[in-house]
Amino acid sequence: MSALAWFIPEYLLLAGAFFALFAELIVRREGVAAAAGALFASLAALSALAIGVRPAAFGGVLELDQVSVTVRVVLATLSAVYLLWLAGRGMAPERSREAAAFVLLATLGGMLMVAARDLMVLFVSIELATMPAYLLMGYRRDDEHTLEGALKYFLLSMTTSLVMLYGFSFLFGIAGSTSFAAIAEAPGAGLLGAFSAVFVFVGLLAKMSAAPFHYWAPDAYAGASPASVAFVSTVPKLAGAAVMVRLAVILVPGVPALPTVFAVASLASMLLGNLAAFPQSDVRRLMAYSGVAHTGYMLLALSAGSAAGNAAAIYYTIAYAAPSMAIMLLAAEEGTAVDDFAGLAARRPAAAWTSVVLLLSLVGVPPMVGMFGKLVLFTAALDAGRLALVLVAVAMSVVSAGYYFRVLRAAFFVGGRAERVPRVLPAAVAVALLTAATLALGVFTGPLVRWLTAAF
Amino acid sequence: MSSTVDGIVFLALAFATIGGAVMMLATRNVVHAAFWLLEVMLATAGLYMLLSAEFLALVQVLVYAGSVAVLILFTIMLTLRRREDAIRDFEPGWGAGILAVLFGGALLFAVERFSAQMRPGVMPEVVPDVAAFGEKLFTSWAVPFEIASLVLLVALVGAVWWSGGDGQ
Repeated sequence: MSALAWFIPEYLLLAGAFFALFAELIVRREGVAAAAGALFASLAALSALAIGVRPAAFGGVLELDQVSVTVRVVLATLSAVYLLWLAGRGMAPERSREAAAFVLLATLGGMLMVAARDLMVLFVSIELATMPAYLLMGYRRDDEHTLEGALKYFLLSMTTSLVMLYGFSFLFGIAGSTSFAAIAEAPGAGLLGAFSAVFVFVGLLAKMSAAPFHYWAPDAYAGASPASVAFVSTVPKLAGAAVMVRLAVILVPGVPALPTVFAVASLASMLLGNLAAFPQSDVRRLMAYSGVAHTGYMLLALSAGSAAGNAAAIYYTIAYAAPSMAIMLLAAEEGTAVDDFAGLAARRPAAAWTSVVLLLSLVGVPPMVGMFGKLVLFTAALDAGRLALVLVAVAMSVVSAGYYFRVLRAAFFVGGRAERVPRVLPAAVAVALLTAATLALGVFTGPLVRWLTAAF
Repeated sequence: MSSTVDGIVFLALAFATIGGAVMMLATRNVVHAAFWLLEVMLATAGLYMLLSAEFLALVQVLVYAGSVAVLILFTIMLTLRRREDAIRDFEPGWGAGILAVLFGGALLFAVERFSAQMRPGVMPEVVPDVAAFGEKLFTSWAVPFEIASLVLLVALVGAVWWSGGDGQ
């Protein structure tokens, strides 16, 4: 099989994006584009699984190792599930076919990000993954709050992209090449190397909404439609986590201070994210701050600087993505205020119990996948001697239960409106799939983490 | 080429560059401003040609005069809903003026102060020509080149979406 065929999943996503743009001109029904997109994305996930691990291709700029394969499959699966939901519920009040195309293109960018082995390819892939995210965040084009949030996101993301690019240019200057292999082999460049690494990671931390670069996230999320947030806060983040891990592996040998940088960012993110999530009354803001906190946990694994820590960081981000997307999808159905969840148990018992599973997984209660994610993460961090940070993380997980339970309290113990949103089969299937993954993925923790560890 | 001809060409190009920049700032119509900017970029490319920096001139024409100017024109086309929106009042700001003067002063000072210490640049015997550049671009760098085209596609679809208005 030639190297061109290893990237069939990417071609499928691109074909799906083009098809989605025009599908509703052929079949005149809202949702056809998203349904077709879901089909293409699930085909992409299957083909990515079938293609598996492959050596470097196209002169070494793209490579499919264990991490790339796992993240590719998960990215395509998540966006297939998301598009399935979109096919049922749409992006009201706007039409959804452009959104379907943007989702597919962002997924394509994310898949290229994790396969990239060259700074140039990495940078354009990051742009390809984030550009549709700006558009999705500002998808409601007549809403001033939406556009304000999207503009904030765009400007901050662009600025941090430039900071990152500045770091890339130094890395190129030190190594004389943009390929990851050459950069990893380049001799440590002292202060210049440290500066360039910090520039690169400042850009990535901001895109991952880690403290202290998280200010854009709550405003951007609160302005956007919750359906957009469900995608933007999960899929590009997973690709970003994989890229952070990959760059950390290359840069840490030359810059020994880097794990400390991760540890500090992790501490700040865990504290700020969890404590700031408390007073929020909007689910989108709550999830934005909880996203900051979860990025903090991910950074804790990264600060371990070991193969197990790197694998744990990726596994944890996967374990976070599924329930987080499902909760935002429920918020898109029910309403964005915590109070909108009131009476959910009475009008939609299934949805209420689903949210119990999802939120408990985010807290880290067994047997949900979030607990396994935290377990591998804490183990890796403890092995690296980060006892104090792990204690903070455990304490903050308990604190996080406080604000997640506020949603559950509203759903079960507060009376609310009685009329329910109409039943839509594809959307229900999508949320059920994500919940099933949250419940069952923990079983595969051991093999998956071993498989991921093999890449480092 | 004799130095007299060189001098005349340089003066013409310098006049075109500076004059175009002044016109770009002075015009009140953003579309006209975009075209003046295009003129400035082309004249700068001419200056590079005069310095025998053919590759730089080519990149200047391709990237700045080609993509950037077209991008600016596209942005203007897609974001202005009415023809009258293109006319903007001339709003000279003191802050910007002072900043520009300071920047120009600092640049002049740096050139005056440090140019004597710099070793004069030596041109390599063989400069990679455009064919070599094209070969690199479409072999080693074909992947990022293609991804970049997708980024532009997203930007285009997005611009259409945001400027589409109510024509559902």
